[in-house]
Amino acid sequence: MFIYYLDLAWRSIKNTPLLSLLMVLAISIGIGITITTLNIYQMASVNPAGERSSVLYEVRLWSQEADSWDEMNPQITYQDGFNLRQSDIPTRQTPMFMTGMAIQTEDPKQAPLLESARVSDSDFFALFSIPFIYGGPWDKAIDKEPGYQVVIRADLNQELFGGQNSVGKVLYLNQKPYKVAGVIDDWKPSPKYYDVNNGAFNDSERLYVPYSLAPIEEYQSWGNNQSWKNESIVTYQDKLASETHWNQYWVELNTPEQKQAYEQWLEGYIAQQQLLGRFASDSPYADISDVSEWLVINKVVPEDSKVLVGLSALFLIVCLVNMLGLLLAKFLKRAPEVGVRRAIGASRTQIFMQHMVEVGVVGFWGGLIGLIWAAVSLSVLSSRFGLEESLTQLDMSMWIIAPTVAITSALVAGLYPAWQICIANPSSHLKSQ
Amino acid sequence: MFHIKPIISTLLRSKSGPLLLLAQIILSVAIVANASFIINERLALMSRDSGVAEDEVFDINIYNFGAGIDYGLQNSLDMQIIRDIPGVKAATSTSMTPLSGGGWSSTLTYGPSEESHKSAPQAAMYYGDEQMMEAMGVKLIEGRNFYPEEVQVGHPDSATKVILSKAFATHVFGEQSPIGQTLYAGGWGEQALEVIGVVEKLQGAWVNSSHLDNAMILNVELGLWPFTKFLVRADAGAMTELKPLITAALHQENKDRVIDGFRMISEHRQRVYQSHELMASVLSMMVILLLMITSLGLTGMVMFNIERRTKQIGTRRALGAKKRDIVSFFLVENYLIALVGGVIGGLLAVQLGQQLMSLYDLPKLALVYPVVTVAGLFVLTTIAVVFPARKAAKISPAIATRTV
Repeated sequence: MFIYYLDLAWRSIKNTPLLSLLMVLAISIGIGITITTLNIYQMASVNPAGERSSVLYEVRLWSQEADSWDEMNPQITYQDGFNLRQSDIPTRQTPMFMTGMAIQTEDPKQAPLLESARVSDSDFFALFSIPFIYGGPWDKAIDKEPGYQVVIRADLNQELFGGQNSVGKVLYLNQKPYKVAGVIDDWKPSPKYYDVNNGAFNDSERLYVPYSLAPIEEYQSWGNNQSWKNESIVTYQDKLASETHWNQYWVELNTPEQKQAYEQWLEGYIAQQQLLGRFASDSPYADISDVSEWLVINKVVPEDSKVLVGLSALFLIVCLVNMLGLLLAKFLKRAPEVGVRRAIGASRTQIFMQHMVEVGVVGFWGGLIGLIWAAVSLSVLSSRFGLEESLTQLDMSMWIIAPTVAITSALVAGLYPAWQICIANPSSHLKSQ
Repeated sequence: MFHIKPIISTLLRSKSGPLLLLAQIILSVAIVANASFIINERLALMSRDSGVAEDEVFDINIYNFGAGIDYGLQNSLDMQIIRDIPGVKAATSTSMTPLSGGGWSSTLTYGPSEESHKSAPQAAMYYGDEQMMEAMGVKLIEGRNFYPEEVQVGHPDSATKVILSKAFATHVFGEQSPIGQTLYAGGWGEQALEVIGVVEKLQGAWVNSSHLDNAMILNVELGLWPFTKFLVRADAGAMTELKPLITAALHQENKDRVIDGFRMISEHRQRVYQSHELMASVLSMMVILLLMITSLGLTGMVMFNIERRTKQIGTRRALGAKKRDIVSFFLVENYLIALVGGVIGGLLAVQLGQQLMSLYDLPKLALVYPVVTVAGLFVLTTIAVVFPARKAAKISPAIATRTV
C-alpha cells in the first residue's frame, strides 16, 4: 500500500509542479538555515573530552586580596602552579601555559619557524589521552630535574623531518638543542578545552616543552596575563614570584573520594599559603570544575550562535505555516478526486495515509535540498568569514537530523490539511462536478 | 465605505486560511523586527571610527631568538633601519596594534591626595615615541607631542609623559583642560605621568569593550622582551613593496629572528569585527529569505481564496459590483489580517526582544523596529494582493450563473 501511495504522491506532485516546487523550496530553505546555525552551535558545544570529561578537572584559586577582583580568575599564578604539583592525590596532573619560540633544525637551509608551544609536565599527554605515533612523553624525572626534551605534533614532524620517525633527533628552540622524545598524532580538540583563554576554537600547539625548564629558559607567556596587584615586574624571576595569573592547572580525579580528598588538600594548601601572607581575603577558596562545567564557565558557545539557532527555529516554523497553507489549498482543490475515491470505497484512514505519504515525500526532498543549502552556506561562511574549519564542517549527525526534522515537521504541518480532506463529505464534492 | 462588516463575516466563516496567514504574519514580524534590530546594532558597532589612518598603517612583529641580545639597543637599531627605508613616512615601536584584539590596558589613578584618589576607567596603553602620532595618523587637538629627548628606552616603569584620547580625557577630567594634570600608573603617587597632549580620537584593541575609545600614548620605546612590534605608516598600498625591503634590511642587521605581521590596520579591523559581520550577514540572509517566503505564501493564499470564491465574485459582479470594488474587497480583507497580525506580531517582537535581552548580552529592542516592520508588511501585503485581486476582478459575471 505504501508503494502505491508513493506512486500517487509522485503523480500528484507532477500534476502541480509549481506548487510542489514552492513547498519543497520553502521547507528546504527553512531546514537549510536551521541546519546551518544548528551545526555551528553543535560544533561549538561539543565536549571534546568524551568519556574523560567527568574525571578531568581544571583548578581555580581565589588568591586575590579583598577589594580587587570580584570573580574567580580562569587562570592561576606560576607559584601556585608550581606548588600544586606537590599533591600526590590526583592520578595525573599538570600545570601549563602557552609560549612560543623559533624552531630551527640541523638543516641550515631551513628558515627559522616561529611556533606557539605549550609548557607542561609529562602527565599532559596521558591526562588528555593524546595518542603518540612515535616515542612517548619525556621521562617523568624531567618534571623534577630539567632536561631539554620536546614532543612535536605529526604535522610539524612532517614539515621538519618529512614525517619519518624523529625520536632522538635534535631541534633547536631559540638556538638551544632539544631532543625529540615523541611525536603525537594530529591532536586538535575543538573547542581547545584545556586552554580556552585565547580563543576556544584556536588550533592546539604543535610543540610541547617541559614546565621544569620555564625558570631556566624564561619562556615568555603568549597567553593572557592578568593581575589584581600592582607589582613591578622587571625580570622573569619577578614574574614567577608575582601574583599575575597566567598558568592553567588540570588534574585527573577518578573517584568521588579522590575528588573530596583533593578538595580538602586544596583547602589545606590555601591555609598554608595564608600563613605566608598570600590569599589575603575574607574567604579564599579553591574551585575545581570538570570539562563540561569548564566549557560552560568560559562561555565557550558564543551567545550569538544561540540567538541564531533560536531565530532560525522560528524561521522554520514560518516555513511550515507557509507550507500548511499551500497544502490546504492544494488538497482542497483536489477534493473532487478524493470524493470519487471515497465513493468507490476508500476509507478515511486510507485517504488520510495517502496524503500524509505525499506530505512526507515533500518533506524528504525538502530535507535533502535543505542539507545542500546548509553545506553551501557553511562553506560560504567559512571562506568569507574565516570561521574555524572545526565549526563549519557539516557534522555527520546532520545527515540524519536534517531529513528527520524535515519529514517530521512536514508531517506535523500536513496533519491538518490531510484531516480536512478526509473528513469532507464525498457527496458534496461529487455534486459540484 | 470599506464594507468591513461583510468582510469580517466572510473571514469568520472560513477561518483556517486567514488564521494561517495571521500566524505567518505574526511570526514574521517578530523575527524580522528583532533580526533587523540586531543587524543595525552590529553595523553601527562596525562603523565606529578608530582615529587611525587604517589604510596607511601596518604592523610588524619581530621575534629575536639569538642569545645575549640587548633588546633595547636592538629595538632602537631596528627602528632606525625601518625609518631609513624610502617610502616609510613614519614608524614607531609599540606595545600594541589598534583593533588587533590584543594589547595592553590598565586603570590609572588620579586625584589631589591619597585619601581622595579615584580610579580612571580602563584604557589602552600605547608605548611609543615622538613619531607614534604620525605613524598612526591620529590628530593632536590640544597640548603637544613628546620631544625626542623625552622618550625613554626600556621598561614601561620609566614612562613620565602621557597623551590621552579625547574620550578618555573627558571621562577623567570632564570639561576642564587635562594638560598639566597628573595621572598615576599603579596606586596613587606611585608612578606620576604628566598629561601633555590630547588626540581627537584613538581606539584600543578590544572592540567589544565599553572602554574602546579610552587610550593613551606613553613616552617609552619598550625594549625588554624578545618580541617587539612596530607600527609603520606609508602610502596606501605601498606595504607589498615595502615588506621584502624591510624584511631584508632587518635580516641583514641580525639574522637570528623571525619577522612577520605586515598586516594593515584595515585588515585587523576586518578580523576583529568578523563575528559581528557574520551575525549581520546571516541575519540579513534570514530576513530576505523570510520576506520572500512570506510574500510568496501570501500570494499563494490569496490566489487560493480567490479561486474558492470564484462564484461569489461572479455573483457580486452580476449584482453590480465594479472591478474596483472586488480589488478593494480583497485589499481590505488582507489589510485587516495584516493589521491584526502586525499588532500581535509587534507585541510578540517586543516580548522576544525582552527574552533575548534577559538571556543574552543584547540591548533592548528599539520600538521603531516593530513599527517599521509592520509598515513594510503593509506594502508587502499590497503587492502580494493586488495582482491576484485584479485577476479576480476580471471574472465574468456569467461564471456565477454557469454552475449551481
